Amino acid sequence: MKKKIRIVVARLGMDAHWRGSIVVARALRDAGMEVIYLGNQMPENIVATAIQEDADIVGLSTLSGNHMVLAPEVVRILREKGMDEVKVILGGTIPPDDIPRLKKKGIAEIFGPGTSLKKIIDSVSGYN
Amino acid sequence: MSRLFDNSVIEEIDREKNRWHKQVYQPAEGVEKVFETLSGIPVEPLYTPADTAGMDYLNDLGFPGEEPYVRGVHPTMYRGRTWTLRQLAGFGPPEETNMRYKFLLKEGATGINGVFDYPTLRGFDSTDPFARADAGRGGVAIDTIEDMRILFDGISIDKISSSLVTCQPICNITVQSMYFANAQMRNVPLDKLTGTSQNDFLMETVITVAPEILPPKFSFKLSCDAIEYCTKHVPRWNPISFAGYNYREAGCSAAQEVAFVIANATACSEELIRRGLDVDSFAPRLSFFLSAHSDFFEEIAKYRAARRIWFRIMKERFGAKDPRSLRLRFHVQTAGVALTAQQPLNNISRAAYHALSAVLGGAQSVHIDGYDEALCTPTELSSLTALRTNQILQLETRVTHTIDPLGGSYFVETLTNKVEEETLRLLDEIDGMGGIVKAGETGWIHKEISNSAYEYQQAIESGKMPIVGVNCYQMEEKELPMELFEVPETLQIQEQKLKKIRNERNGAQVQDALDAVAQCCEKDGNLMEVIVEAVKTRATQGEISGALRSSYGTWEPPLF
Repeated sequence: MKKKIRIVVARLGMDAHWRGSIVVARALRDAGMEVIYLGNQMPENIVATAIQEDADIVGLSTLSGNHMVLAPEVVRILREKGMDEVKVILGGTIPPDDIPRLKKKGIAEIFGPGTSLKKIIDSVSGYN
Repeated sequence: MSRLFDNSVIEEIDREKNRWHKQVYQPAEGVEKVFETLSGIPVEPLYTPADTAGMDYLNDLGFPGEEPYVRGVHPTMYRGRTWTLRQLAGFGPPEETNMRYKFLLKEGATGINGVFDYPTLRGFDSTDPFARADAGRGGVAIDTIEDMRILFDGISIDKISSSLVTCQPICNITVQSMYFANAQMRNVPLDKLTGTSQNDFLMETVITVAPEILPPKFSFKLSCDAIEYCTKHVPRWNPISFAGYNYREAGCSAAQEVAFVIANATACSEELIRRGLDVDSFAPRLSFFLSAHSDFFEEIAKYRAARRIWFRIMKERFGAKDPRSLRLRFHVQTAGVALTAQQPLNNISRAAYHALSAVLGGAQSVHIDGYDEALCTPTELSSLTALRTNQILQLETRVTHTIDPLGGSYFVETLTNKVEEETLRLLDEIDGMGGIVKAGETGWIHKEISNSAYEYQQAIESGKMPIVGVNCYQMEEKELPMELFEVPETLQIQEQKLKKIRNERNGAQVQDALDAVAQCCEKDGNLMEVIVEAVKTRATQGEISGALRSSYGTWEPPLF
C-alpha cells in the first residue's frame, strides 16, 4: 500500500483569511491525505513543523499580499535544512505577474482564486 | 387583525394554483428541476396570495419608521435622505491613505470608511517580527497617535462621519481611543464626533483569526468596554458594527449571517444591562454590517427579516422603549467572495446587482467593491468606478422613489418569512448553548461556518452553482485588462516614525500608562477609560495590546 501523502497547511504571516485554507485542507483530507493544519505561522515555524511531521508537501495560503516576501523564505529555509524533497505550493490572491517570479524562487505550484479543488487534489496527489 | 386576504378567496386561489401547476406548468417544465436560494431554501415556480395568507399586515409589516420596521427604519427612507456613499479605503502608511480619503471626499463620497492593515487589526506594531511582511497590507498602518493625527489631517472630523473598520476588539480598544484622543487634541469635543467602529469579538476569535488572539470572553469584554465608554462619553458614535458581512465572507449562509449578528448583539445587550446601563441608553447606537451576496431576492428578504427579528427581540426580550432601540440600521458591502479574478471587469456588473439588492432591502449606507478586489487592493480607478456605480444607482435608476418597493411581493414576503424562521431556529440553538460567547469558545460557530464554506465550494466544483468565468464561459486570458495596485513602502516609514517617537517620548510616563492598563485588567475596570489616556503618552498599539495579552493570555481557535 502506498504511504499516505502528508501535507502541512499554513497561513502565512498575519493574513487573516482562513476560508480558502480550511476548504482546501478539508478537501485534501477527504481525498485521503494526512493534513496538518497550522493556522498563522512565520516561515521558520512552518519549516520546523514540516520537518517534525515528515511532510511531503507544504501548502501555504495568503490573501494579504505578503507572498513575495514570505513564500520564498519557506523554500529557502527548507533547502537550508536539507529538505530538498519537500515541495512548496501556494494559494491565494496572487497577481499574475508574481507567478513566474515565485516559481523562479522555488514555489512548485501556485493556485489563484477560482482554482478548482480537483485541480489542487490532482496536483498534490501527483507528488507521491 | 389585518389579514391580507379573505379565507375563501385564499382557498380558491390555492385550488387554482394547484390546477395551474399540474395542468399547465408541469407539462411545460418537462424534466423536474430543483431550484433553491444560495442558502438552500427551496424556491417554487410561482408565489400567490396563498403563500402570505397567514400574515397580519399591521403586525408583520407595518409602515416605514414604525413597528416592526420591516418596511424601513425611517419614515421617508431614500425620499428624505439617500444612503451614505461610504467607500472603503486604506493601505500603506497613513500619509498615503489620508490622500485617498481626500480624493474620495472630493469625488462625492459622503463618509469615510477606513480599513486598517493586518498588524494593526491584530494589535501589533508594524515593526513586530510577525508583522514584517504585512505592514500596510489590506489597510493603513497605525502604530501611535501620531499616525492617527496624520490619517485625519485636514479632514473635518467634527462634520464628516468616520467608519473605522477596527474589526477586532483588541485593535478597536486602542485605535478607537487614538481617534478620540486625537479629537480632544484638535479641540473637537467627543460629543460632536459621529461615526462607527466595528469592534466585533467574533471577528477576533472566529472570522479573521490570526496569531495570539485573546480568548473569546476577554475579546467580548473589550468590545463591551468600548460600547459602555461611548454610551457615556461619545453619544453620537456607533461603538459597534456587528460584522455579518465578514461572517458571510468566511462562509455563512444568509440565515447564519443574521443569526450570528443578532446573537452577538443580544449578548452585548445582556452584558451592558448587567453593568447597570439602561437598554435605551446604548441600543440606539448598536449598528449592523451585512453582506450583499449573489442571490438577489434572498438578500432583500434577509435585510427585511433581520429588521423584524431585531425589533421583536429588543421590544419583547429587553423591553426597549425608545423607537431608535428597535430599529436595525445597517451598512452593506457587496460580497467580495463573489468576485472573480477571471475576467475581472465582470465584477463591475456583479457588484452593481449586489448593491441594488442592498438598496431594495433598505440599507443605510453602501460600499461597492472594486472590480480588482479578487486580485489586489483597489486602484484609484477601480475605487472611483465603484463610487460611480453607487452614484448611478442613487441618481439615475429612481429606485429611491418608493419605499420598500418589493414589500407585498408574494415571493419576497415568503422568503422573508423563511429566512426569519431559519434565523430564529439558529438563535434558539445558540441560546441553548449559553449564548454566542460559549458558542465561540466550543468551536461550534467555526464548524458551522466552515461546513457552509465547504458546501459552497462543492457547489461551484460540481457546477451546481455557475460562476461566469470560473466554471462556465471561461476564457484564455493572456493579459489582465487593467493595472494592479502596488502597496506603497510602509515598513520603513513606520519604522522611522516609531524610532523618533521612542526617542522623544517620556519613557516613565509610557510605563505608567502601560501599568495602568494592566491594573485595569486586574480590577476588571473599563479599559477604554484608561487607554484613551495611555495613547496620549505615545505608547504604541503593540505595547498596549501586549499589556492586554499578558493579562488575559491567548487562545488557539478550534479551526480544523
